[in-house]
Amino acid sequence: MLRRTSRRAFVKRSATAVAGAFVLPQIVPSSVFGMGGKLAPSDRIVIGAIGTGSQGMSNMRDFLRLGSQLQFVAVCDVDALRLSKARETVDGANKNSDCRTYMDYRELLEKEKLDAVSIALPDHWHGIIYTETINKKVAVYGEKPISRTIADGQTIVKACRKNNTIWQTGSWQRSLPNFHRGAELAINGRVGKISHIEVGLPDGSRGIGTPPVKEVPPELDWDMWLGPAPEVPYRGVAHWDWRWILDYSGGQLTDWAGHHIDIANWGAGLENTGPVEIAGSGVYPVDGIFNAPVEYDFICKYANGIEMRVANSSRLIHGMGTTWYGELGWVHTNRGNQLTASDPGILEEVIGENEIKLYKSENHWQNFIDCIRTGKETITPIEGAYRAISVALLGEIAMTTGETIKWDPDKEVIIGNPRASRLLSRPYRKPWTLPTV
Amino acid sequence: MKKQFIILLIVAGILAFFTTCSDTGKYKALIITGQAEHDWQTSSAILKKLLDQTGMFHTRILATPEKGGDMSAFNPAFSKYQLVVLAYNGEPWPENVNTAFIDYVNNGGGVVVCNESGNAFPDWKEYNQMIGLGGGEGRDQSAGPYVYFRRNEMVIDTAGTLSAPAVTSQEFEIRTKITDHPVTAGLPARWLHGSDMLSGPLRGPAISLDILATAWSDPRAQGSGRDEPALMVIAYGKGKIFHTTLGYPQDGGGPALECAGFITTFQRGAEWAVTGNVTQPVPLDFPSAAAASLRPGFVVPTLDEVMKNLGNYDIQKSTRYFSLLQSYLRQAGGDEKSLLNYEKMMVKVLKAPETTVEAKKLLLRELSWMGSDYCVPGIRNLAGNAEIQDEAEFALARLQATN
Repeated sequence: MLRRTSRRAFVKRSATAVAGAFVLPQIVPSSVFGMGGKLAPSDRIVIGAIGTGSQGMSNMRDFLRLGSQLQFVAVCDVDALRLSKARETVDGANKNSDCRTYMDYRELLEKEKLDAVSIALPDHWHGIIYTETINKKVAVYGEKPISRTIADGQTIVKACRKNNTIWQTGSWQRSLPNFHRGAELAINGRVGKISHIEVGLPDGSRGIGTPPVKEVPPELDWDMWLGPAPEVPYRGVAHWDWRWILDYSGGQLTDWAGHHIDIANWGAGLENTGPVEIAGSGVYPVDGIFNAPVEYDFICKYANGIEMRVANSSRLIHGMGTTWYGELGWVHTNRGNQLTASDPGILEEVIGENEIKLYKSENHWQNFIDCIRTGKETITPIEGAYRAISVALLGEIAMTTGETIKWDPDKEVIIGNPRASRLLSRPYRKPWTLPTV
Repeated sequence: MKKQFIILLIVAGILAFFTTCSDTGKYKALIITGQAEHDWQTSSAILKKLLDQTGMFHTRILATPEKGGDMSAFNPAFSKYQLVVLAYNGEPWPENVNTAFIDYVNNGGGVVVCNESGNAFPDWKEYNQMIGLGGGEGRDQSAGPYVYFRRNEMVIDTAGTLSAPAVTSQEFEIRTKITDHPVTAGLPARWLHGSDMLSGPLRGPAISLDILATAWSDPRAQGSGRDEPALMVIAYGKGKIFHTTLGYPQDGGGPALECAGFITTFQRGAEWAVTGNVTQPVPLDFPSAAAASLRPGFVVPTLDEVMKNLGNYDIQKSTRYFSLLQSYLRQAGGDEKSLLNYEKMMVKVLKAPETTVEAKKLLLRELSWMGSDYCVPGIRNLAGNAEIQDEAEFALARLQATN
């Protein structure tokens, strides 16, 4: 159902256009509008974007393809050049010059009356900005991984539940047929009872040494880019390459957890729980500014006996993607519409009427918009996103401490290891704090 | 005077006794060199140093006569050794030496074939079987097929003629193909080797050959686009042969030999060739795909050195010692005693007036998760220091949240 705020926003923005009209509808039930066909401007989802780098722009273009169902009104980025390009893209699609720009997300959230916001930021910002946005009761399309730490993730989940927010994770693989089919075969026992799962994520790449300190380019608000992360001088590493530095991300492991670990969980019925024991090791760069593990290999044991191995793809027979194994064989799925099985017959199997039918979406961004209208849960709700990244973050803790980590997936605490428990959160740089829910 | 002389003799005798004793239980290794394209004197001394460094070998270097010299007196007593390391690419040996060497391997002697030796003796049939694959020196189709990997698949090319790319010294990526062999167990799947000459294409009989790791010849760096064999093991008779194409010496050493990846695989390969097992752990400074890792002076960094160097940490120069500290912490695997020992050393560096601000920040970050009550007072004392106040408070917040 459309919310009151968007209606008011529409009224406010359209004040001049409707001059002379004395009776304005304050709330129009969404049911009076059809889901298809051309929509009245008053029924459009009003959306903005925070973070307009490569992934933010990619999401924006996917939303703009949905046409008149939504109205992009504002963009926010700490890089003025990127912000300007984002505005041009929005204005080009809207055929006007109305898109508003912000360099501080707080201003955007305060001034704009949005139905939804698309957020694509470095991971260290997720805890604060996701929670604040959800607290404003705005629907969120949020990039994976949903958090840099487990504590941040828990706060975001709590905020979503409390505010009953529509949340879609950028785990768009769930909206592709091969991943859906693979997961549905696995969860319906077509490989037999699942004994173990292998998840292959990308190998880390070459480092860049330690570039010298540089002058911050005039278009970049470096202090705001760092936000809650420790203060460090600018070395030309902001866009894209932040991902290989542990203050901002966990490297390829945490970047891709929201894809192939998420799919693994989906097909094994683990999307609302977590492992009970995690152990493994990583390979870390010996020198240079990049310090995220370039190789990682850990095993998560679940209470039901399933073991999930997560490793960089060079270490696994099937390489990238998710492979579910059971006593009848295996099913593997990966990007590029890949779906293979130990026996091709498995792939021909029909899922019967009384079997598990996984949520079906054919367009990840449309699914988000549909759910804002219907109030239904999206294909990638917050809980699953949190559980997917938890696997990677617990793996990261196991590798950092060199210890076998015991995890209580219900209470969501590390058992009997205060040292490892400290790594569940990170204190923020002042004045930033994780918002309360 | 006479008395002093006697004491001296006794001391010398004791020293000699202990020297002999300390060598007992060690494997006897023989490095054969004397003819090569490069400064073999220096490089063979490095190989000896690396073998002796393991504490497992007592190594001797034997040089053949120079090119054109009289080989008749060259007659190594192979059977006295458990390991023969070949660092030789030159004129054929006398027939009796070849026969003795074949007997040595047939009887279970261990061999390490180093870099240039992979090109040696193109016409010696048994030798070529022992090295599995060889390069250059006019090896043609009669030598055997080319063997390499393309897109993760092994190619055995019996027909084609492959051209060798122009070889320039550069860093390249080693890809571990067999991960459960003693030599490569526990190594990263990919790692960057210090600047070296990439060997290939290689061809040979390839009998009883396992290719443990390959070298990626990157077309973006004028390479062939093939993964060329880099680390190999071959079974011959009762003998075991480890063949490494890595470690082409430049200026008597250089990054190809200083590479912690070369050193580790060479030392582990030598142990395996003798015993069939490897007891040497993967060292903390082993390279990753992100960056090569060199050991200047071939010295393994000790914990004391790591701590000492942390104090004058300068990120602009290297993050190496800090990365090594993190490796020590990971390797402790939660062992309270080890961690407390590291913590005490870290606090000492933290308190030292000469320690750089950057180093203090990094130490505080690590202490924030692995520290105990021990480090808290020291950190409290630093919290008033404006330069590191954030990090000190960060550490205290974390430590106090769970203590």
